[in-house]
Amino acid sequence: MIIRKTESIIELFMKEGVMSTPVLETENLVKVYGRGPAAFHALKGLTFEIHRGESVAIVGKSGSGKSTLMHLLALLDEPTSGVVALDGKPVTKLKPKAVSGLRNATFGFVFQQFFLNPNQTVLENVTLPLKIAGISKSERNEHGMKALEQLEMADKAKNKATDLSGGQKQRVCIARALINNPEVIFADEPTGNLDSATSETVEDILFGLHRDHGITLVVVTHDEDLAAKCQRRLIMQDGHIVEEQTGASTTTPTAARVPAAPGERPQEQPSRRRRLMKFGKGGAR
Amino acid sequence: MRSLDVTKTAFSNTLRSKMRTFLTVIAIVIGGFTLTVTSGLSAGINQTVDDMLAGYGEEDQLFVMQASAMGMGEDLGPGPQPYDPEAGQQSSTFGQEMLSETDIEFIEGIDGVTNVEPIFFVSPDYLETSGGEQYTLNSLDIPADGPAMELVVGELPERDAMEITIPDTWLTMLDADAEDYEDIDPQIALGETVEIGISNLAFEQETVQAEIVGVSTANLAGIGGAPMPSYALNDELYEIQNSGLDVEQPDAFIQAVVDVDDLEANEQAIKDALQEEGLVGMTLEDLLGIIQGIIDAVAWVLYGFALIALLAASFGIVNTLLMSVQERTREIGLMKALGMSSGKVFGLFSMEAVIIGLLGSVIGLAAGLAVGFTANTLLTGGDGPLGGVGGLTLFALDPVALGLIAAVILVIAFAAGTLPAARAAKKDPIEALRYE
Repeated sequence: MIIRKTESIIELFMKEGVMSTPVLETENLVKVYGRGPAAFHALKGLTFEIHRGESVAIVGKSGSGKSTLMHLLALLDEPTSGVVALDGKPVTKLKPKAVSGLRNATFGFVFQQFFLNPNQTVLENVTLPLKIAGISKSERNEHGMKALEQLEMADKAKNKATDLSGGQKQRVCIARALINNPEVIFADEPTGNLDSATSETVEDILFGLHRDHGITLVVVTHDEDLAAKCQRRLIMQDGHIVEEQTGASTTTPTAARVPAAPGERPQEQPSRRRRLMKFGKGGAR
Repeated sequence: MRSLDVTKTAFSNTLRSKMRTFLTVIAIVIGGFTLTVTSGLSAGINQTVDDMLAGYGEEDQLFVMQASAMGMGEDLGPGPQPYDPEAGQQSSTFGQEMLSETDIEFIEGIDGVTNVEPIFFVSPDYLETSGGEQYTLNSLDIPADGPAMELVVGELPERDAMEITIPDTWLTMLDADAEDYEDIDPQIALGETVEIGISNLAFEQETVQAEIVGVSTANLAGIGGAPMPSYALNDELYEIQNSGLDVEQPDAFIQAVVDVDDLEANEQAIKDALQEEGLVGMTLEDLLGIIQGIIDAVAWVLYGFALIALLAASFGIVNTLLMSVQERTREIGLMKALGMSSGKVFGLFSMEAVIIGLLGSVIGLAAGLAVGFTANTLLTGGDGPLGGVGGLTLFALDPVALGLIAAVILVIAFAAGTLPAARAAKKDPIEALRYE
């Protein structure tokens, strides 16, 4: 059993490098919280693809379903119905342990609140995913130092995580997300807790990784500056992707129609563009 | 996550809030300490008894008494008992039923019995030293107990010689200047001649001379706490005790020492035969087994209390870990998001419980051993309150018991950890990361 799981993970790695294959695909993705009359339809049937090496922003107000979507894409949650496929393979049917293994091997996470363990050193925090993967300490530390060097944080390796500034913390988080050579980095409001100058630096780092290492970047944000730097933006509203924009700038958006859920046609309103503009800092959370 | 990493992480996690871990560990230490001291105590006493047993040369002996004398007689109920003229003659001054000549003859007739040595009950009046001082002497040790006696110097009285041993506490009668018997060299007693005064049935005192050949010290069973005559001296004193009146007094014996051919093979058959006659035969092991039985019973009561303490401590572990799980909700969420399986999260938290148990057992066992051995040295040492009891070991190392205690503590700790660990394992990463 275990061997087969490992093989499937290796298989996934083998497929790497084929630019045209979507790394993540969804089909009619539905997520419902609760039951009966109290049921809340967070996602109402989403079908889209994220290609290898792409940078995608999921944009929307709080309650639009963007966080739920990210959780489903990152395999942190299971959809009520519909399919999430990683490298063309549906993961919905996999056992929780296999899904954990996939997350550990394939994804990197950057969170708004950093989630660094204050009792551990920077290096220990960075190497946590490798520790979970069961890699030996010396190898862990070697990789950890490399990742920290890449983010110019090597001199802080022995510091406690609490001794760092916000920007430094987020850089440590990025180092942690990088350490397992992920295919996809999920960034949930990565600049939400940072001032604008620091945000700029962190954004540069993230997009640099995307550009230089071909890492697929999925950013959840309501910061339009950050969203604008992504190649593609999925605008979410009430559980639908109401608009898809491509191009690295919002000034000349190329609106692409996304198939709506059957029997439900989202009203096409000219105000949609304005809505994007309204997604400012502090709009949620 | 590797098992080694799980252990290391769990260990550093338990040290995160030191005070809390320390207090939880203390509760376990108390349980572990009590278990260790109890096991050491029981091992020590049992070792003492075993040493005593090993001291007996002739093991193929049975001590035969009336069953009622051992509290093993037929239960006739609390009402009036029918009178048995023969039995009526045969009770000692203390009302203890004694063996009659017919009983002795019966015992001699049992298959496998090679020799029967009846033990007389002798009650002398005084013991007079060569200096002319007289000391009260109302009880003597029974010669048959000789092999179990702990001798400080000298040797046991010869069967056919008029010899006697005295306990070390009696040495003061030979050296009036000494303040404490422990200051006296017991060697001075050897070769001394004493006179024993005893009254016959007509209350006329007669004396018998005996030579001191050994100095004993009282052991756990009390043997060696009174002067012990040789068989010949005992017989002589008995003769005097029952003389003086012109009546035939039936002989009565408190017990008989029975030599048995191949005790192991014949023991049960002889015991059964004795039982039918209302007698009871006991080997030395049986006799000392009674002491061991009492010690074991006390030990089990203490074990019970210690286990109750551990049970209470286990709730401390549950509480501590539940708090820990609550506090570390986000950390658990992060670990799960980064791909740690629920099983490993469970493993991590139950390992923390085991580590708390391990700390508790190591400290508890070490403290128990330290206190046990120190107390043993202080109590049974030369100046200790129990220093007078010969061959006594109060506390001994029992590695099997210690291993078992550690295992029990770890199992209890693990069991206590399962509830919080299951809680941690069940946490949903998304909920946990959202937790404020």
